[in-house]
Amino acid sequence: MNLFHTKYLVFLILVLFAAFLPMYIGEYWQYVLTIAFFYAILAASWNLLSGYTGLFSLAHHAFGMIGAYTSTLLMAKAGIPFWMSIPAGILLTMLISSLMGIMCLRVSGLYLALITWAFAEVARNYFRLHYTFTGGDRGLESSLLFGTIQPTPYYYLFLGLLIATIILIVLIMRSRIGYYLKAIRDDSIAARSMGVNIVRYKIFAFAVSSGLAGMAGAFYGHSIGLISPIMGDFNEMAMIIIFVVIGGIRTMPGPIIGAIAVRILMELLRAQSEVRILILSLLVIIIMRFFNGGLMELYRQIKQWINKDKNGGTSAYHEIETPKQGES
Amino acid sequence: MDLHLFSQFLISGLIMGVLYCLMSMGINFIYGIMKVINWSMGEFFMIGAFIQYLLLESFIGSEYWYIGVIISACAVFVLGALVQVILIKPMFVGIIEAKMEYVTIITIALAIFLRNLALLIGGPYIYTPPDYAKPTQLLTLPLSGNRLVAFIGALVLLGLFYFFIKKSWTGKAFQGVAQNRAGVQTSGVNVLRYDMLAFGLGTALAGAGGALMAPIFSVHPLCGLAPTIRGFEIIVIAGLGSIPGILVAGLLLGFAESLGSAFISPSFVDIYGFILLVIVLSIKPYGMFGKAERTV
Repeated sequence: MNLFHTKYLVFLILVLFAAFLPMYIGEYWQYVLTIAFFYAILAASWNLLSGYTGLFSLAHHAFGMIGAYTSTLLMAKAGIPFWMSIPAGILLTMLISSLMGIMCLRVSGLYLALITWAFAEVARNYFRLHYTFTGGDRGLESSLLFGTIQPTPYYYLFLGLLIATIILIVLIMRSRIGYYLKAIRDDSIAARSMGVNIVRYKIFAFAVSSGLAGMAGAFYGHSIGLISPIMGDFNEMAMIIIFVVIGGIRTMPGPIIGAIAVRILMELLRAQSEVRILILSLLVIIIMRFFNGGLMELYRQIKQWINKDKNGGTSAYHEIETPKQGES
Repeated sequence: MDLHLFSQFLISGLIMGVLYCLMSMGINFIYGIMKVINWSMGEFFMIGAFIQYLLLESFIGSEYWYIGVIISACAVFVLGALVQVILIKPMFVGIIEAKMEYVTIITIALAIFLRNLALLIGGPYIYTPPDYAKPTQLLTLPLSGNRLVAFIGALVLLGLFYFFIKKSWTGKAFQGVAQNRAGVQTSGVNVLRYDMLAFGLGTALAGAGGALMAPIFSVHPLCGLAPTIRGFEIIVIAGLGSIPGILVAGLLLGFAESLGSAFISPSFVDIYGFILLVIVLSIKPYGMFGKAERTV
């Protein structure tokens, strides 16, 4: 693994750029980027679970919400300090998602999506309806992590969390476990016959990815100071899917680029707030229908086109298409 | 709790169970034919309810509500077939990979699109159509006329659908497509056309459900959400692709909800169904009547 590979240099330059950015932009855009980083963490961890491992979960936003509520409720009702309540939120999320993983072990594709979806709706309704404890639709006030509403510290906090998430996911995907997860996605029976413990690694994927979502949610709650069941709305899950699809599913930078780009686009379209979600959902439909691969696929095609030009018409990288035989 | 109140809760559970069945029958039918789940079902339900409301308010009077149900079902059928032709059909021609993921993402995006379009056009208001029938009495039990009418309507629709699938030639062709897509092509059934019809019919069931239940659930951009959650829960409890299972699971869910809200607490009514689902899944992972999928 060559550390001076172009990819790492680009990553380093982007991180440095993001670190110096708050000096040049106002507080408003710092806040926008903080929220964008939060969604980028959710999108990247969903990509780990659903893109790479193929467990199409629709409860990712709900795990973020559970993390946020756990940490905030522990602080508000039991008086536990930050450094204990946030890890408690992460641990609870991981525990619940592992149980979910165990429950979904024997079911595939559609059942998994249905069960996780039902779970997310139930979790949201629980937080809405048990209002004497959770505050219901009015929301729950959460104490701020740095005691201020000035966005710069939260910007750096979420930048750090995002970098940690990216490094964690890259490490997982480059290790032996990453190959196991990909093998489970491609063909779980073949993976099992080659000696991959699919039970263990499915639960592992669930726990890690939902734990990341819970972490993002817990810090998010303490950054914006008010959490509500809106975090568990199905629109949020759809937004995560939109980010990942626009950026490019099953690519490492895709979800992060998608999340940040789409959040900035949404801010620019703020004046037409009803129309922007219409535009985004149409964009996803068009990308899926005509251009299956998102921004990263566009990048790959441009790169391939440039390479072809340089080599005088013969591409150095032949894409060998091996389509799987469908049912039809 | 006395017997009088208990039987009232039982009847309420029965009625709601049959209404939820209508919803999950459409999802199940589309799954049976195309082997994909339509996640925008609740939005077709909402469109049916909106069309019914518009018809009753501005074109035909509230006494002809049954005509409105038929018209909105037809309109939703056309819309669903159009969506299938434009968005989903191209994935079913030729060699395909990961069509389940494709359809899931497309229909979720479509659901968000339709929901927000309704919000843009109709605004975040709750519309209440006029009552279909006056409150009645079943022996000594008071009963909402709307619920009774919706119950009878749902039973009629389910019965018609069942006979259409079991008796007519087209229905038998549908059964063939559900059993073996390649095999049925050799005997001259145009699978792609039946896909379109199935998608249209499935969404039309949801649209008719929306029109029937408009006075019960009211009409607003999110009114399809609650019945869809129940529809999906019923399908998971029953097992994908089983018609009698859906009836049993729907009634079970209706009873679980009404008895749970009677004996435990009415505020957690959404959670009882999920608890039932978890219990069934931990005993039989493919639902009560489902068969294990072959994943090869």
